[in-house]
Amino acid sequence: MNRALKRIVLFTVVFLCITGLVFAGGSKESQKTGKGKITIAYTGFPGGLTPFWAQMAKYMQEEADALGVKLIDLSPTTADANLQKQSVDNAIDMGVQGIIIGSIDNRAFGESLKKAGSKGIIISAVDTAIDDPNVKALAQTDNLASARLLGQYIVDHTSQKGKVLILGGTLGHQTGDARRDGVKQVLEGNGYEVIFRACDWDDKKAYETAINELDAHPDIVVVFGCWDPGALAGLAAVKEKGLLGKINVYGFDGLPAAFKSIKDGELTATIKQDNKQMAHVIMNTTVLLIKGQEPPVKRLLIPGVVVDKSNVDKFLEK
Amino acid sequence: MSEANRRAVFRLKRGVQPLVGLLIIYLVFTALSPTFRTFNTFKTILTQAVVLGTLSTGATIVLISGGLDLSIGSLFGLIAVITGLMLKANIPVGISIFSSLLFGALAGAFNGAIIVSTGIPAFIGTLGMMKVYRGFAEILGKNKDISQFPLSFQSIGQGYLMPISIMVITFLVAHIILSYTKLGFNCYAIGGSNEMSRRAGIPVKKYYLIYYMIGGISTAISAIILASRLNFTNSSWGLGLELNALGAVIIGGTSLTGGVGNIARTVIGVFIVTTLNTGLSHLGVSSSWQRISIGTVIIFAVWLDIIQRRREENA
Repeated sequence: MNRALKRIVLFTVVFLCITGLVFAGGSKESQKTGKGKITIAYTGFPGGLTPFWAQMAKYMQEEADALGVKLIDLSPTTADANLQKQSVDNAIDMGVQGIIIGSIDNRAFGESLKKAGSKGIIISAVDTAIDDPNVKALAQTDNLASARLLGQYIVDHTSQKGKVLILGGTLGHQTGDARRDGVKQVLEGNGYEVIFRACDWDDKKAYETAINELDAHPDIVVVFGCWDPGALAGLAAVKEKGLLGKINVYGFDGLPAAFKSIKDGELTATIKQDNKQMAHVIMNTTVLLIKGQEPPVKRLLIPGVVVDKSNVDKFLEK
Repeated sequence: MSEANRRAVFRLKRGVQPLVGLLIIYLVFTALSPTFRTFNTFKTILTQAVVLGTLSTGATIVLISGGLDLSIGSLFGLIAVITGLMLKANIPVGISIFSSLLFGALAGAFNGAIIVSTGIPAFIGTLGMMKVYRGFAEILGKNKDISQFPLSFQSIGQGYLMPISIMVITFLVAHIILSYTKLGFNCYAIGGSNEMSRRAGIPVKKYYLIYYMIGGISTAISAIILASRLNFTNSSWGLGLELNALGAVIIGGTSLTGGVGNIARTVIGVFIVTTLNTGLSHLGVSSSWQRISIGTVIIFAVWLDIIQRRREENA
C-alpha cells in the first residue's frame, strides 16, 4: 500500500518538475516553428467527405511546396465545427504564422480568430467567407453571381413551370446560402415555386430529402443540389422514382463525377468552381501578408462557369 | 498481507495505471514537440476537454451503476437546438439554461424509466432513444439558422476561466456524490450486483432513474457550453459523441460491467484523449491517425483492465 502511494507521489513530483522546466523555456518563438521557414496551417472541410475538398488539400500542398512554405494540414475527418475550431486553436499554440480556413461552419471561430489576431497570425479564408475583422484575405467562387447564372440557365432550359427543389447546405453557412439565394431569386422572378431544404452538406440527407419531396410534390420539375455530391444524391432519387428525363437535376462544384454524369446524359449541368485557382491565390496572398507585403488582391471572387453537355468534354479532358 | 490490504493494493494499482499512461503520453509529446510544451497549449488542452469532460461525468455514474446510455450524443444535439431556439426567441438566458438543464434531467430520467419499467436492456432502450432524440432535434432545427446568441450566454463557454471552472465543479459534484453520499454508495452496490442490492432492500429502480437523470443533466451542461462556445447550434451536433464519452470513461478504467470506477479515472481518461488529439496535431499527425491511436488506446486500456482483474482474482 505504502509503495503504491509512494509511486503516485513520485510520478506527480516528476511530472510537475518536468512540465515546470519545459514551460520555463518552451515559449521561445525560435523553438516553435524554427528554421526560418514560413509555417502555415490549413484546416478545411474533410476531404474524405467530398472530393472538392480532397482536391483543395492537394492543391494547397502543391502551392506550399512551390513557395517553400511548410504546410500543416489540420483538417478534421468529420464535418464537426467544434473539431475545426479546436484545430485552429492548436495551430495558434503551434506558433504558425498563417492559418487558412475552409470553414465547416463560418460562425464557429469568433474567439479563436480574435486570439490569432492578437498574436499577429494571418488568417485567410478559402471557399467560404468568414465575417470577422481578423480574416485578412479571401478566395472563393462568386457563389451568388454563379448561382444566378445557373438560375438563368435553368429558366432557359426548363420548358414547363412548376416547383423547384433546392437541396441546401447548412443553414446560415455563407456559401450554401449564397448558392440557394442566387438560384432562388432568378427562379422566383420567373414564376417558379421554390422548395428549399437544408441538408447540412450531407449526401445521405440530400437523397432522403429528395425521395420524400418527390413523393410529396409530384409537380417538381427541377432539382438543384448546392454541392455536386448532393446533386448526385438528388439524381439518384429522381432515377429511383423513374423521373429521369422529366426532371432536370443541377449541381454546383464541378467535380469529375458530375462531369461524367453530364456526359452520360443524367445531370443536366453544374457550376465549375476553380479550387486550384483558389488554393493558388490564397496561399500566395497569405505568404505575402506574412512577409508584410501588399498582395495584389485580398478578396478574390472567382466567377463560376456553367458546364453542360455542350462543353463538358473540355473539362473532362482536364 | 491481509486480504483487505491486498485488494486495496490492486484497486490502487488499477487507479494508478491510467495516470501513469497520461503522464507518459504528456511527457512524450513534451519531449517531441517544442510547441506542445507551452502554457498556452496546456490551457488549450484544458479548454478542449471541457465538453467531453462534462459529458463523460454523467456517463461514468451511469456505467458504474451497471447501466449504459447510448442516447447522450443525440440528446446533446437536441438540447443544443432547444437552448438555441429559446435564446433566439428572446427568452432570458437564465431561464433558457435552467429549462435546458431541466429538460436534460427529464430526458435522462425518461431513459431510465424505459429501462426499469419495461425490462428492455439498456443498450436497446437507449439505442432507440438515440434515434428519437435525433429525430426531434432535426424536426426542431430544420431549416432554421440558430446562431448569434446574447453576449451573456456566450461568456459561459468562451475563454478559459468560465468553461474550465464549470468542468471542475461538475467533476467535484460528481465525485462528492459517488464518494460521500448514499446515492454514490448504492451506485457501486447496484453496479456490482443488481440482484444482491435488490435483496438488500435498495430501491434499485428508483436509483436507476436518478443515475440516468444525472447523465441527462451532464449532457445538458456540455451541450450548453458548446452552444455558447461556438455561438450557434445545429441538429447534427453530438453524432458519435456518446462513443467518444464512453471511450474516455473506459480508458480511465471504469468498468463496462458496472460497480468499478470513479470520477478521477474519468478525468484521466478525458485528458488522455484530449492530450493525444492535441499532441498528435502538434506533431503534424493527421486526424485519421489520431482516431486510430485513440482506438488503440481504448483496446489497450481494456486489455490492461482484464489482466489486472485476472491477477486480482488469482491472488
